[in-house]
This record gives sequence, structure tokens and C-alpha cells, in this order.
Amino acid sequence: MSVWDVFNGKTRFLEDNMNVDKFVYTLGHGYEKFFNGLKEGKIIASKCSECGVTYLPPRIYCEECLSEITEFVEIKQNGVVLGYTIQNVDKDGRHLKEKVIWALIGFNGVRGGIFHKLVGVEPEEIYVGMPVKPVFREERKGSINDIQYFTKTV
Amino acid sequence: MSSDVYIIGIGATKFSPSTPEFSFKELMYEAAVKAYNDAGIDPRKDLDVMVTAAEDYWEGISIFDEYVPDQLGAVLKPVFTVSGDGLWGVAHAHMLINTGQFDVVAVEAHSKASDIVDIQSIWRMALDPYIHRPLVDNVHVFAGLEMNIFMESLDVDRDAVSLVVSKNMGNALGNPLAPYGADVDPDMVNESEVVSYPLRSMDISKYSDGAVVAVLASRKVVEDLGVDAPRILGIGWVSGSSYIEEWDFAAPEFVWRAGQLAYSMANINDPYDSIDVAFIDDRYSFRELQSIYTLGLDNGYSLNELVYNGVTYPDGDLPVNPFGGYLGCGYPLVAGGLQKLYNAVMYMRSGGGDVETALVMTRMEYPSPSAAVAILGW
Repeated sequence: MSVWDVFNGKTRFLEDNMNVDKFVYTLGHGYEKFFNGLKEGKIIASKCSECGVTYLPPRIYCEECLSEITEFVEIKQNGVVLGYTIQNVDKDGRHLKEKVIWALIGFNGVRGGIFHKLVGVEPEEIYVGMPVKPVFREERKGSINDIQYFTKTV
Repeated sequence: MSSDVYIIGIGATKFSPSTPEFSFKELMYEAAVKAYNDAGIDPRKDLDVMVTAAEDYWEGISIFDEYVPDQLGAVLKPVFTVSGDGLWGVAHAHMLINTGQFDVVAVEAHSKASDIVDIQSIWRMALDPYIHRPLVDNVHVFAGLEMNIFMESLDVDRDAVSLVVSKNMGNALGNPLAPYGADVDPDMVNESEVVSYPLRSMDISKYSDGAVVAVLASRKVVEDLGVDAPRILGIGWVSGSSYIEEWDFAAPEFVWRAGQLAYSMANINDPYDSIDVAFIDDRYSFRELQSIYTLGLDNGYSLNELVYNGVTYPDGDLPVNPFGGYLGCGYPLVAGGLQKLYNAVMYMRSGGGDVETALVMTRMEYPSPSAAVAILGW
């Protein structure tokens, strides 16, 4: 429903809503393997048989040679911090009750990685190359949030 | 590959935090009339093709390209919309003219950012719906990540980045079209609110409304008009993998490759030596330094030295964003590239012939791994 906004006695704006907040995103083969792997507490990547590149998140095509990828492999969960940032405000500029550390996690022999929360680490402790591992939720349903966070490897 | 395409006219509205008195069509109309007048052409007779750059979500209208011909003098002419920044539109116009089939092609882009009630939610809708959107509500987090990796990798000081903000907002004081000109002490930037460490609120360009139209033409038209117009010596654009997990955040390869395409077309081997002035991406302050480095404009300086020695200041060896950049003019969404092109053309015209070559560059925003670079000369 539209409404007319009145400003200083003159009509100046028409207000409306795009109403596009409902959508279904088909996972496809690559993300199906990835998310169902997370559900089982595994990290699944895909490996190009032509040029040997292993991709995370997994996909069914190779960026380098455009070959179809049919090989999916479980990778070791020991990762390292490639970079990080510490979020202080939400999208509306409100201070978060607790700052969130976000990190880009890389894995040996893998192109790409996983962007996720880093917990149990003080900001001054973090360094590029810091070993980390994922902590999975007890109840998992096949989403990126099946990983609760990454934390340092003791 | 060679280039024989000229910018015979360009027009822009003022850039402003809000424009409640004008609709998007009226902003486009103002810029178009100024551009056609500047070019000395009648669009109803002389315009062959109209290219606009827009993204439906920024407009709040699906299939937005239906809404552009009438206010641009392009009714019943070939019209198409590039889903991206206006500099990508210039690249398309350049190709059209180089086919030899068209002599006059205009390019338009605009921003009505002030009409978008919840702009951050639209940014969030751009994130990967599978692996990023379920986690992140604030897209500036990715800028914080990129900034941290860039600064750590290249050993860039916080003060050097803050001086970029101070410089560009100061440069905008002399630009009558820029709304965010200010005399800013770098300490103000250093003490502004942390959004996502190390990114602070003053590192982020504020939005602006505005429209720009550029008129491109073949050599034949330039000779017929008898005008001296800047030529597009080279132009290139590149997109990388959409998986940001694969990006080189320190020096993005898609920026480097876009530069190489433009340099190659313009026969430029030594960018620092060849470029007189640069209008480059500063949506986030650190991006100016990152782009200087990635495009080979650093001349062997460390990025800290480059700033501390004043190389990029208006009276330095390589002025960068001398009319204020996005930090001073505001970030007009997909009109960003054309805003920089407008500033470049104005700078070259005002240079009395001393400014022979200008570089214009911008990036699309997260999660787009895309950059475009244009080289202008006489």
C-alpha cells in the first residue's frame, strides 16, 4: 500500500515497498556437497582432475580450465588465519554488545577458504598464519552456521 | 588494439547528500542538457546510441532500463543499460564507436542514494546468499578485512591512510560540485568511530546524489566540429572470481589486470612516468593507496613515503583525486566512475595543455571483484 508524504504542504515523495524479501536459493551440486558435509561435521572441497586445483567452497566447474569437476574431497580441518577484522557496529551503525572477530581461514593445498567468526581469541593474539580449527554446533541442519565459529588450535 | 574515440562533451549535476526537489529523471535531464550543450550537438539529430549504467536495486524499479530514453533525448533510438558503474558504460560506448558503425554515443549514470531508505540492506542483498549473508549484516566488514590485510601486507601506517581522507576532503573545498569539502585534521580520522577494525567511520565515503552524462564521438565528428577534445587512449575492465575467499586483498589482481589492459591499449610502459594525474577509487580511504600500488603508480616509493612526501597532493608529482574523490564529492553509487571521468576532463581542460594524460579508475563494491581503468590524453 502506498502513502503520500506531505512536506511543507507539498507532496514530494511517494513511499512504497519492493516486497522482495522471500526467495529460495537452490544449492546445486557444489553447495549440496558442502552443506551436507558440514551437517556431518566435515569440510568438503572439490578437486579439478585436469589441473589439480582444489576449491573451497566446492563447485562443479574449474575456474582455470572450465573442466567439469566430479571429485569431492574431505579436507583436513586445521586451518590458518589469512586475515581478520573486528566488527564494532551493525549495519545501522549501532554498537554491538560484543565485538565480533571475522576471519578469512585458509587450508593447506586449497584455493579459497572459509570466512567465519573467530572466538576464544584476544585481538592482540591474532596473527596471519595463526592455526585455527572449526567448532561445529551440536545440532546441525546443513548451513554455513553449522560451524559455530573457528578458534585457535591449542 | 587502438583507440580513436573522444569525449566531446560532459555534464554533471551538483553532488549532494540529498536532492528532495528533483526526481531521478530530472537529475538525468540536467546532466544530459549540460553535456549536449558542452558537446555542441543536438541529441535528437546527432545521437546514435545511448548507454546508461544502472542497477535495479539502487533504483527501486525492476527492469529500470525502460525508464531512461525520454529524459536523455534518446526516444526511438538504440538504448541499452549496463548493469554496473558508468565507467563500464564508457567502455561499451568506446567499443561501439570503434566498430565504425556509430559516430556519437552518450553514456549516463546517476545516483538517487537519498531515496533508498535502508541502503545497507541492499548492500547485504548483494552478498553471497549461501555462505556470507547468513553470517554478516554489515558489508563494511569486508572493507575492514581488506584494509587490514592490505595495511599489514604492505606495512602501511594508519596516519598515511588518514592523510588520504584529510587530503581528499580538503581538495573538495575547491570543487563547487562537491558537498563534503572540509579542513580535516588526520587525528579526527584516527579518532573517528571504529566500524570494523581497522576501518573507521571517516574512512568510508558518504553517499551523494547526482548525475553525469558524457558524450563520446569518432574522429570524424571531432574534425567536423573543429574542437579539441580529450581522447580515450586506452580502457579496460576485468572481473575476478566471485568467491572473495580467493581474492588477493593486498593488491587485487582484477585491478592490476584492468590497468594492464588500459596501459597496453595506450602504449604505456611506465605508468608513473606517463600519467600526469589520477582519479582513482577512494570509496574506502585505503583503496586510494592500494590502487596506486596495484596500478604501478607508486614509482618505487613506499606508500607511506608517497603520502608523507606529498607526491599525491595537488602540487605533487602525481596529484591523486585533486577535486576531492569520493571522500570529498560523495560516493554516487554507479555514477562513481563518471563522476571521476567528469573531474578528469575538467582538470585536463583547466590545465592549459600541461596535463597530457589522466587516469580514471573505479571498482564495483563488495562482493564484486571488478575494476575499470581509462586513460585520457589529447
